[in-house]
Amino acid sequence: MSGHLTILPVLLPFATGVLLLLVPGRSLRLQRAIGLAGVLLLLGVAAALLAVSTQGGPRVYHLGGWPAPFGIVLVLDRLSALMLALTAAIALFSLLQAVQGQDRSGPLYHPLFQLQLVGLNGAFLTGDLFNLFVFFEILLIASYCLLVYGSTAPRLRAGVHYVVLNLAGSSLFLIAVGTLYGMTGTLNMADMARKVAAVPAADVPLLHAAALLLLMVFALKAAVAPLYFWLPSAYAAASAPVAALFAIMTKVGVYAIVRVYTLVFGAAADPALGGLATRWLLPISLITILLGMLGAVGVRELRRMQGYLLIGSIGIMLAPIALFSAGGISAGLYYLVHSTIVMAAMFLLSDLIAKQRGGKDDLLVQGPAVTQAGALGLLFFVGAIAVAGLPPFSGFVGKALILSAVRPTGWMPWIWSLVLVSGLLAIAALSRAGIRIFWDVDADDAPVAVRWRLLELGPTVALLALVLGITVLAGPITLFLDAAAEQLLVPGEYVRAVLGGAP
Amino acid sequence: MEALMAVAVGALVACGVYLLLRARTYPVILGIMLLGYGVNLFLVGMGRVGAGAAPILTEGTSDYVDPLPHALVLTAIVIGFGMAAFIVVLALRTRIATDTDHVDGEEVL
Amino acid sequence: MTLFLTVLLPFLAVLPPLLVRRHGDQRSRLAGLCAIPTAAALALVVAAARDVFAGAVPQASVAWIPSLGLHATLRMDGYAWVFACLVLGIGLLILLYARYYLSAREDLPRFFSAIMLFMGSMLGLVLAGNIILLVVFWELTSLSSFLLIGYWRHDEDARAGARMALIVTGVGGLALLGGVLLLGAIAGSHELSAVLAAAGSVQQHPLYVPMLVLVLLGAFTKSAQFPFHFWLPRAMAAPTPVSAYLHSATMVKAGVFLLGRLHPVLSGTPEWFYIVSITGMATLLLGAYRAMFAHDLKGLLAFSTVSHLGLITLLFGFSSPLGAVAAVFHIMNHATFKASLFMAAGIIDHETGTRDMRILNGLWRHMPYTTALAVLAAAAMAGVPLLNGFLSKEMFFAESLFIAEMRGLRPIEPVLAVVAGIFSVAYSLRFIRIFFRGSGTGMPRAPQEPPRFMRIPVEVLVLVVVLVGILPGLVIGPSLAIGARAVLGGDLPYYHLTMWHGLNLPLLMSVIALAGGTLLFLVRRKLYAVYGRVHPPVTIEAGYQGVARAASAGAAWLTGTLDNGSLQRYVLLLVGMALLAGAVPVIGRFSAGALPRTPVDAVTVAGTLMLVTAAVATAALHRHRLVALIAISAVGVIVSAGFVRLAAPDLALTQLLVEIVTILLVLLALDYLPRRSPPDTRAASRVRDIGIAAAAGAGVAALAWGVLTRPADSISRYFIEQSKPAGGGTNIVNVILVDFRGFDTLGEIAVLGIAALGVVLLLSGVDLTASRQHGEVARDRAPLFLTMITRALLPFALLFALFLLLRGHNLPGGGFIAGLMAAVALILHYVASGTHWTESRLRLRYRPLIAIGLLTALATGLGALAFGHPFLSATFTYVDLPGFGEIELATALVFDVGVFLTVVGAVMLMLSRLGEPVPESPADAAFPTEAAAWKP
Repeated sequence: MSGHLTILPVLLPFATGVLLLLVPGRSLRLQRAIGLAGVLLLLGVAAALLAVSTQGGPRVYHLGGWPAPFGIVLVLDRLSALMLALTAAIALFSLLQAVQGQDRSGPLYHPLFQLQLVGLNGAFLTGDLFNLFVFFEILLIASYCLLVYGSTAPRLRAGVHYVVLNLAGSSLFLIAVGTLYGMTGTLNMADMARKVAAVPAADVPLLHAAALLLLMVFALKAAVAPLYFWLPSAYAAASAPVAALFAIMTKVGVYAIVRVYTLVFGAAADPALGGLATRWLLPISLITILLGMLGAVGVRELRRMQGYLLIGSIGIMLAPIALFSAGGISAGLYYLVHSTIVMAAMFLLSDLIAKQRGGKDDLLVQGPAVTQAGALGLLFFVGAIAVAGLPPFSGFVGKALILSAVRPTGWMPWIWSLVLVSGLLAIAALSRAGIRIFWDVDADDAPVAVRWRLLELGPTVALLALVLGITVLAGPITLFLDAAAEQLLVPGEYVRAVLGGAP
Repeated sequence: MEALMAVAVGALVACGVYLLLRARTYPVILGIMLLGYGVNLFLVGMGRVGAGAAPILTEGTSDYVDPLPHALVLTAIVIGFGMAAFIVVLALRTRIATDTDHVDGEEVL
Repeated sequence: MTLFLTVLLPFLAVLPPLLVRRHGDQRSRLAGLCAIPTAAALALVVAAARDVFAGAVPQASVAWIPSLGLHATLRMDGYAWVFACLVLGIGLLILLYARYYLSAREDLPRFFSAIMLFMGSMLGLVLAGNIILLVVFWELTSLSSFLLIGYWRHDEDARAGARMALIVTGVGGLALLGGVLLLGAIAGSHELSAVLAAAGSVQQHPLYVPMLVLVLLGAFTKSAQFPFHFWLPRAMAAPTPVSAYLHSATMVKAGVFLLGRLHPVLSGTPEWFYIVSITGMATLLLGAYRAMFAHDLKGLLAFSTVSHLGLITLLFGFSSPLGAVAAVFHIMNHATFKASLFMAAGIIDHETGTRDMRILNGLWRHMPYTTALAVLAAAAMAGVPLLNGFLSKEMFFAESLFIAEMRGLRPIEPVLAVVAGIFSVAYSLRFIRIFFRGSGTGMPRAPQEPPRFMRIPVEVLVLVVVLVGILPGLVIGPSLAIGARAVLGGDLPYYHLTMWHGLNLPLLMSVIALAGGTLLFLVRRKLYAVYGRVHPPVTIEAGYQGVARAASAGAAWLTGTLDNGSLQRYVLLLVGMALLAGAVPVIGRFSAGALPRTPVDAVTVAGTLMLVTAAVATAALHRHRLVALIAISAVGVIVSAGFVRLAAPDLALTQLLVEIVTILLVLLALDYLPRRSPPDTRAASRVRDIGIAAAAGAGVAALAWGVLTRPADSISRYFIEQSKPAGGGTNIVNVILVDFRGFDTLGEIAVLGIAALGVVLLLSGVDLTASRQHGEVARDRAPLFLTMITRALLPFALLFALFLLLRGHNLPGGGFIAGLMAAVALILHYVASGTHWTESRLRLRYRPLIAIGLLTALATGLGALAFGHPFLSATFTYVDLPGFGEIELATALVFDVGVFLTVVGAVMLMLSRLGEPVPESPADAAFPTEAAAWKP
């Protein structure tokens, strides 16, 4: 079976999801049990793959037994293994929160949740550009459903924006993939890398355009300036568990950028193509940091604020990645892991807090005393410290890694000042929010009778514990990420693994 | 032939983008559909439009058109249909929930 | 390892307070709980004294993030030892004091928990042996002080003060992080011992100055140096124990601690001298000056603290050996007398109910004992002989003379020093005055001596003040020596610790200061009047407030303007970016390929023209919904015709069938969309959109043109060659779909299935009939004959679909086309006979159908695994089926059946839900209320 381990992250949720479709909608308990079991299994598989990925080079799975580049291949390397593990972890805690009741506001939550995972995992594994498109579509259509889940007006409104923008993005994706196929005659990324490296000068401009169009598609998914506008409303409107799961969604865009622009348009490609991601991505990500953090300071609702903090963090992780140096990628990936986990926690937490503030909900204004101010306040304090990148949590580690990683480059002054300023703005935003919610209490405003059971705080606590975990274990983790970055910067290994020894 | 192809694709995309930029859900839906046609045509074109038999193996024919784009487009058509169906229903559901067909879910003047 | 234990101990008492049960008077319980680990830690530090005094430097290290150079290293040299003693010793006294200061009604666990968090952080800061670790604890002190300053959360000032302190010191912390990362990179290691040894290379490095600036930003913000001093007086909104601990003895000392800590590696350069000493001098004077005019007791002490911190900074700025010694000495002295003064102020506040020096009077009548203590401490602050403050101030005067001599700054520098001295004497006298002026009446509460134990901390500290003052060499000499030696990183200069140095210039300066101070005190009333007039209308703090407010407002405005919630703008941005991305690389470099152009025939030209016309018509007439719908279906039909022209029969068929279904869907949906909408956009923006759209179209057209005219070489030859032998089918496209790239197909039917589920989801719990726009249009029955025909045709149509499915592998057809065919047939039936009739006849539940379809496809793929082949590996054999001729049974065919079922299921599910207002099955109904859901 171990030979087939690589494809399990796709098949397992697929089977689970389809199975759940056959379970009558009324028997919610059964659905929950199956769903959770599926995710737990997935977590096991992901862990196993993480271990496998550290053994030697990329592992290739030839679907249908067809040789690359003709058939579709799945490729497992350290990066994809990392993303799979992260996804599984986030999925588990999101689902654990969802089964506390939010999966009741409509039918089909659990099948959709599983199919969402199919899309995510497939995108992280596939080595074929068009197949990547297909998995993007799966994860998108599933995310559309989960976003509008419950069909409240705000969710539908946000849904329309999210869907239309992404449909436009999908068309763009097809145009880019089509052009790349037209120019290189292949869809397999490894094969494409070879073809691109050998492309005649006259064809470079068209390839360049296609590569940039693709970058825009990924930038839209990653919510990078100026294409992030769908995110704040969508994440603010979505139910908390869904928002938490969506924390990983933007990372698909980041992953795709890392994958495609190290492999296909990496160092081996024509200089015009090789450096294009840096030329475009770095300025954009710096702007994203600024606009995201300013947004966090500017908005007046807690959930929206988290959305903007997420956008800012995307910029922070992309800036070092855009240098496409081993250190930069490694640091960026550490921040990616950190930000995904902590933002997921914050989305869950924001909802728990808002529901204890009655009519004031998540508005950052004077309001009633939060019923469980002690526990929630403590969690918020910890989460805020991590998000703002203050010690002693992973945010600080991540920023320190980023700062030292980009030091030798000419971009240092820019990245340093923006990363440091982002910290300041985050502190300003989060301290204001914390003070408004937990300290600025209106004595006349009667507290709400909502009290959370320990179980309902569980996922949030667990996620924050995970934050602590990746802080303590930062040493080994960075070692793994360094190796992952090295692997990405030597695409030859990947290409050989996929296409066989032939140079 | 190549020129005609380019023109057709361009026209479809242009009209699609224009409709995509409207403020009501219905034209936006039409825009997405037009964009879809344009993109599919574009994809087929990526196999070139030179002469060649349909990709059905028959005795004595050796020159077939590139079949791969056809497969891709077929996939794209079906996915596109699914997406179109979803947004159509999303649009009408939003209309019911917000009582407007404005893409922003509220009448903005 | 004992070092780790030492630092860990205070943290151990962070959580317990939050867990003790909350009733009755918890004060003793909590204070005790916290005092135990504190005392233990102090004991450990004192125990380490022997080694440290012997010159050893205990060190312990655990690797944390090697790649970052961040190790959990703790290191206790003399300097660290001195500070550890201050932090824990005064900390212990503070706990005792707080026990009596705080009221039993307050939320005490929160207080003690935070104070222990701070104590641990501060201890870690001074013992850190890795400069990044130092920053970690540094920021932790900022965070814990935020909690402590804001302890009285109901008080607006407390909240504002806490946030201001956090932001100002937080910014400094960020700068410091940058600074130490640079420093470590330059020094080649972040380990303190290595850094301290790297002075030479560091000061030569081109990045020395930026690094220095960043580090100093950290130090100055933390130690409330000008122009960042304003947060400290604000922090006085904290409970007095906090002020006494954080804002006199410890946290604000972190900045100057850092100056001393990095003194060996950073000091000595002109940059250091000028930046540090000028900042110090400015702060020294400004603090003294503002203290002169403060009327709040704690305010006076706060500004005095600012002033003394400036003095210490100035001494470090001298970067002379004696300067460093004096600095360390004054750190100790100031900690003792200022802490005791704050505690005294707290007692007074506690007893009289006010801190306003204009109200306070005659306290000695009611609390002679406290008065004595407070006056002694205040005298030390003024630099009166026989007290410790005098000694360090003497050193300061002496050193300022020496430096002025050396740097040719005479006489300004000594004069300024004396001026500062004068002011400090004057404000000290103002402080002392409240005890003796007046009759001791007219205060909110009639004061009396505080509880016995509340005074003990003050007594202890004042005792130290006096002993050091009288017997400095004996009491403080050794500690000062080891502390200073660590700061100098080498041998000590010659100095003689004694209260009497004979008649010399420094003594004269002291005398001038005392006399001038007294004089200034006597004429203060006039000064107040002047101060009222000349006091700058715009203070730094006001500036900070202004900037903060402006920034926040600006951010809100910017965000609101950019993210204005308009989809049209977002789409515009996306298209714009795409245009940019597509145009930039190509403009000026675009070249068509060399492929010989394919000849054109009239039909194609005509078709293209029709296509363009239809497309434009759709865009132009979109407000006439039905017309637009007809136009777009024309587009669809022409496109499918185009597919025929391009030798893609499968595409043509699929496109045509999809067309039918889509149009039908939209028709159904139109019932629920308004017939007419107001013209959406202004003419101007319509023109702009036309421009954008044209550009986008031109761009894609150019892209297409560029590719189409280039010779192609693709992997497809393999498919053409292998389709029959390896794939077992002659319809290459179908073989690709179900075999070569079956994984794509699996994904795409998943998408279709999910889309159908999405439709169910969206329509669940909605009564569509209620939402219809115009009557029962679509409910009208179709003419009878149509009903009859469709009913008759249905079986044949389905049979034909089956036929398409089976032959698909070799001839145009296959799962999709067959599925769509069947769906269309069924739909016609619905239209003709109405949903109820149909559903009652053929009991189709479409959701399970989707599941079964997907399952079939999945199972086919999994089958291969059983035989050890990769997922989706296909195989086939031929059988002769009467009627169809020879067909082959390929697993790929089973896969295609899965596709077929999914397509039928999905399409029908969508249409039936839309066509039929009632939910398809109870299973799909939303759970209307929590109650309706399962009971646990």
